[in-house]
Amino acid sequence: MSTPLIRLRGVTKTYERGGEVLTVLNKLDLDIEKNGFYALMGPSGSGKTTLLNLIGGLDQGESGEIVVNGEDIARMDGADLATWRASHVGFVFQGFNLIPVLTAQENVELPLLLTNLSRSERRKHAEVALALVGLSDRRSHRPSQLSGGQEQRVAIARAIVTDPMLIMADEPTGDLDRKSAGEVLDLLTKLNEAHGKTILMVTHDPAAASRAKKIVNMDKGRLGDVVDNQPVAQR
Amino acid sequence: MFPTRLVFKNLLKHKLRVLLTVASIAIAVFLLCALQSLVVALDAGVREAASNRLIVQSKVSLFVYMPESYKAQLERVSGVERIVRWNWFGGYYQDPSNFFAQFATDADALLDVYPEIQIVEGSAKDFIDDQRSCIIGAVTAEKYGFKVGDTVPIIATLFPRTDGAAWDFRVAALYRSLKKNVDENTLFFHSQYLDKSIELGEASGPSGVGVFVLRTAPGVDQTALMSEIDAMYENGPQVVQTTTEAEFQAQFVSMIGNVPFFVNSIGTGVMIAILLAALNTMLMSAREQTRDVGVLKALGFQDGSIFGLLMAQSLVMCGIGGGIGIAMAKMLEPGMAKFLGTMFPGYEVTSTTLMMAAGLTVGIGVLAGIAPALRARSMHVIEALRATA
Ligand SMILES: Nc1ncnc2c1ncn2[C@@H]1O[C@H](COP(=O)(O)OP(=O)(O)OP(=O)(O)O)[C@@H](O)[C@H]1O
Ligand SMILES: [Mg+2]
Repeated sequence: MSTPLIRLRGVTKTYERGGEVLTVLNKLDLDIEKNGFYALMGPSGSGKTTLLNLIGGLDQGESGEIVVNGEDIARMDGADLATWRASHVGFVFQGFNLIPVLTAQENVELPLLLTNLSRSERRKHAEVALALVGLSDRRSHRPSQLSGGQEQRVAIARAIVTDPMLIMADEPTGDLDRKSAGEVLDLLTKLNEAHGKTILMVTHDPAAASRAKKIVNMDKGRLGDVVDNQPVAQR
Repeated sequence: MFPTRLVFKNLLKHKLRVLLTVASIAIAVFLLCALQSLVVALDAGVREAASNRLIVQSKVSLFVYMPESYKAQLERVSGVERIVRWNWFGGYYQDPSNFFAQFATDADALLDVYPEIQIVEGSAKDFIDDQRSCIIGAVTAEKYGFKVGDTVPIIATLFPRTDGAAWDFRVAALYRSLKKNVDENTLFFHSQYLDKSIELGEASGPSGVGVFVLRTAPGVDQTALMSEIDAMYENGPQVVQTTTEAEFQAQFVSMIGNVPFFVNSIGTGVMIAILLAALNTMLMSAREQTRDVGVLKALGFQDGSIFGLLMAQSLVMCGIGGGIGIAMAKMLEPGMAKFLGTMFPGYEVTSTTLMMAAGLTVGIGVLAGIAPALRARSMHVIEALRATA
């Protein structure tokens, strides 16, 4: 096996609540391969979101190292981490998290404001991303004028518009009906297979998890083994 | 670097709320400009006072008269070129609410000592020659429709006529003033007419002189002159106080009370109220944008950009309001000046006033924005993302 894209060693995260220390992530080790599609499963409160946030550079733990592509993001300060996120990670949230006052096109263009692209290049990149998720005709709609499935596809377009190597998706289909969920999962699969994105997806839905290449189980702040997913047809 | 589009789109999201805030800022800034312009107006007499005139008045108060005989004595003091008497007449035209000042004065000397008084209609000679005539400021003349040749009846309060009738003054001329220390509202008539009427028993009232205005010779040591005159009457019969025209005007302004202090207090109150309104709007707006702040931070926008985003919203909102207020103050200046004409001659919205208003507007923008902006800046991305929309 080649060196993993992401390597976690001894990652620990605790919260203090009312004088009581709650260990949410307990000395986790994990290797994530380049171009992998991982589903992270486990009961509610087991620490899935917390882990995803740490790997995505949204949050930091107390100890351990998180080396992504040779950089230890666990040691970065807030400003560097923000810069790192802007160029390496695309986020897809359960609640879509689009900016309500901006149109689909403007939402997708948002991350590009942090690049050196010109205004017209930004527009073009955003149009390409929207076309990829099949929403070119909705580009001037605001989030409130879109269905949940469409909102999540806009969010995916926003996540990939800067061409990051990592996509972090926290229950991306959690608020969607089966059909919309299917479309979102199709998109993620396409991003992984055709565009080489490494995807880490938290999900409660076995059907969603079945679309991933590998599945990791989490329970009470500890990780189980990474298992290869059997294509549904072969099970 | 922050998305400027978000500044405007977020402000436009709650149009009514922002509009009301902008309107209240506009009104407050306008009010502030108007109040400040009133102070400027009150101060005009002090600022534009002539440097070659001294005022002699009773040391007791402006309302205590000095003997007539002082005039001849003062005329003999070296350094004094010419003297004008001013006596407050205190009458009114038709109704007490029609307020404009009337003064009994020395016609010839008045026009000589006050070169800023310019006859614009009628003739100065006519005024000087006819002791029953008067000159009237163009603003008052326009307000009441007085024309040269008209007879203006003034009902006396201090100097009632024995026959109970009004005093009739023939308008010999209308004047305008080149400087703000003399307004364009006043009626000037002859002291001789007043004195003679009292002498003949046709009218009654206090005798004596309210103030003497002395024109000093060029290069005269005014300080020494003032002490000299004060010393002349140290032992009465009426102790006097000699001041420069500027000091005299300043005393007049302070007689109405400490107006600048009063106006500044009101202004400060208005500004605090408006700051609270702007702050309230910004706090509400920022709270609604908490999740957006989380999203922007997750996308990689720096804390400083988030600070700028919220600060810019506050500055734009307050700037628009303040800008409208300032524009209103400048545009309504002629109307206000006319409206306040007799009460506050010299109403002027100066560039200093406008700059002060602009400075206050920016100050309010900063103060209203800083707390929400700091809060958004320091908020952790995870915490912000968890906020319910
Ligand atoms: N800010 C916080 N303060 C205190 N405790 C927290 C905080 N955030 C998370 N936790 C705790 O950490 C634990 C893990 O939370 P996490 O959100 O990672 O769980 P999860 O596996 O994503 O759950 P779910 O499936 O419900 O989304 C929970 O017990 C939670 O209560
Ligand atoms: Mg979760």
